[in-house]
Amino acid sequence: MIERFLHHLRVELPDADETATAARTRLADKFPRTALRRMTHLGLLVGSALDGVPLGPDDALVYASTFAETRALEDFLGSFPAASPLLFQTSIHPGGVQQVLIGRQQPIARLWPLAGRTRLVEQALLTALLEPAPCVALVGGEERGTWMLEHAMAAARPFAFATILTHELAGAAARTAFRPGLADDESCPSLEDFATALAERRPLGWCGAGGAWTLEWL
Amino acid sequence: MHPTADQLPAGIEVCDCLTPFGDAAATATALLANRRALSLTPVLGRDGGDLVPLALLGAMDETLPPRWLPALRQLAAAIPVDDWGSAHTPVIITSSNFGVGSLYAFTRDHDARHLVHGTPFASVEFLRQEFDWGEHVHVFSHACVTAHLGLAHAARLLHAGLAARVLVFSFDFVSPFVAGGFHSLKILNGTMPAPYAIREVGAIGLGDGAAFAVLTRDAGPFRLAAHTLHNEMFHFTGNRPDGAGFAACAASIAAAAGGRRVWVKGHGTGTLEAGRLEAVALARHFPGAPLTGWKGSLGHTLGSCGLVELAVALAALRGSGSPGKIPGTVGGGTTSFTDTVALAPFSVAEFDGAILTSNAFGGAHAAMLLTYD
Repeated sequence: MIERFLHHLRVELPDADETATAARTRLADKFPRTALRRMTHLGLLVGSALDGVPLGPDDALVYASTFAETRALEDFLGSFPAASPLLFQTSIHPGGVQQVLIGRQQPIARLWPLAGRTRLVEQALLTALLEPAPCVALVGGEERGTWMLEHAMAAARPFAFATILTHELAGAAARTAFRPGLADDESCPSLEDFATALAERRPLGWCGAGGAWTLEWL
Repeated sequence: MHPTADQLPAGIEVCDCLTPFGDAAATATALLANRRALSLTPVLGRDGGDLVPLALLGAMDETLPPRWLPALRQLAAAIPVDDWGSAHTPVIITSSNFGVGSLYAFTRDHDARHLVHGTPFASVEFLRQEFDWGEHVHVFSHACVTAHLGLAHAARLLHAGLAARVLVFSFDFVSPFVAGGFHSLKILNGTMPAPYAIREVGAIGLGDGAAFAVLTRDAGPFRLAAHTLHNEMFHFTGNRPDGAGFAACAASIAAAAGGRRVWVKGHGTGTLEAGRLEAVALARHFPGAPLTGWKGSLGHTLGSCGLVELAVALAALRGSGSPGKIPGTVGGGTTSFTDTVALAPFSVAEFDGAILTSNAFGGAHAAMLLTYD
């Protein structure tokens, strides 16, 4: 069995129709003014979820987002034929979390940005559990799209979460574990389901990736 | 201080790539002959624009089905048969572009059929169905170090006993989306790239590329013995001016290489500042080791470059010569940042390993140690 304990848990679940402008006002005190005006909605939510998290240069971060920087992507596509360099940079996965860490000037050892969908939560957890770093940040989120949402290529609501996985039981809020064994795959929680479970302190369990997964609250 | 490298050796059962020159063997042969796949091409394809160096497998403009599908079918035909996408034989897809050219096409012609493969998850699902893979397809996207992540993660899955065999599959095809983006940053311009060369203007080229590797727990004659990663988080498109990020990654992989005699395949896109920092850091940590780079010919294959260039390196090592030869830095200038830059092919006879590196936006650095008998 592989397990880690969850410390520092924060979830951002704003109203589904929150805009980046509204988030910029709501979260203004968490970011330097110069950085704030350039940050995307997802970057703001991820930054808020990571607020106060002490990461060091030997730590690792696993970042999960199916749709990533949707609005920057939409706007960059709209900037052609005079392509915008700023939107190009911002649209590239994993820009959401890079905005935050660059703003903090926070180097880290390893960054694992995942971009799947069906088993994204399971794969992000597996990536985090296989990390040898003593402190692993597990971060995820989405921002709401506009025209891409109309074509089911973007999230319908914004959200983000961040938690720190360590081997330390003391002070932990929850435990996540993977027990290898023969088991047929079951449906894996979506990224939004996972964020909601974290917010509600709701346990999770399913089978996949050749074993059984649990999220238990302590 | 530098990050600790993963030292989880994985055997390379099979590895191949597809570039405008053909498969890995054909690509290595072309590089040994100092040929360039890059040619000056309108940056927005049929929409025109400035001429920039691109190395393409056909016209850049997106098609229906996507223009990368026939190439990926051709490449995938060489993948050994297995129950790919099962829990114990997972697939790891690495890319920085996926099907984004289809999104660009949709914004031009509003044909919704492009959207079936326009986003990362959609293009991966499209491939999963095309190749009849199961659900266990991991998807990484970290700009130009992405393929390194896939290979490193595969080694972790193997050593944790969670996978018996892992298929790492990577593809990046140039579209007006990415060419226009790099052109807007002014590093994709009308100049051919000259990796590691001292000159007035830096320039990169972009190239189509796809590759795969099947990694196993069995050692085999070729092994990925170590991986290291480091993320500066200094600037979106720039590196720390003191070169600390390059040094951290180079020191880590040098420690893993121990006393091996290695040659180095660097990132070498053709940008000036990053090229200088990279060449200096690698020369310091691998004194005397020849430094080569192939993006002056193939262009930068972006998220796939780490795997495409690994396949080329393996093909060169398996080459028909005795001993085999490694291609030099195609397109390099007469004066380089360091005297370690190899401008001509060199013999592998005196080496028993290679360091392969890639770098990316955000000051991301990746390196791996390839060892062979």
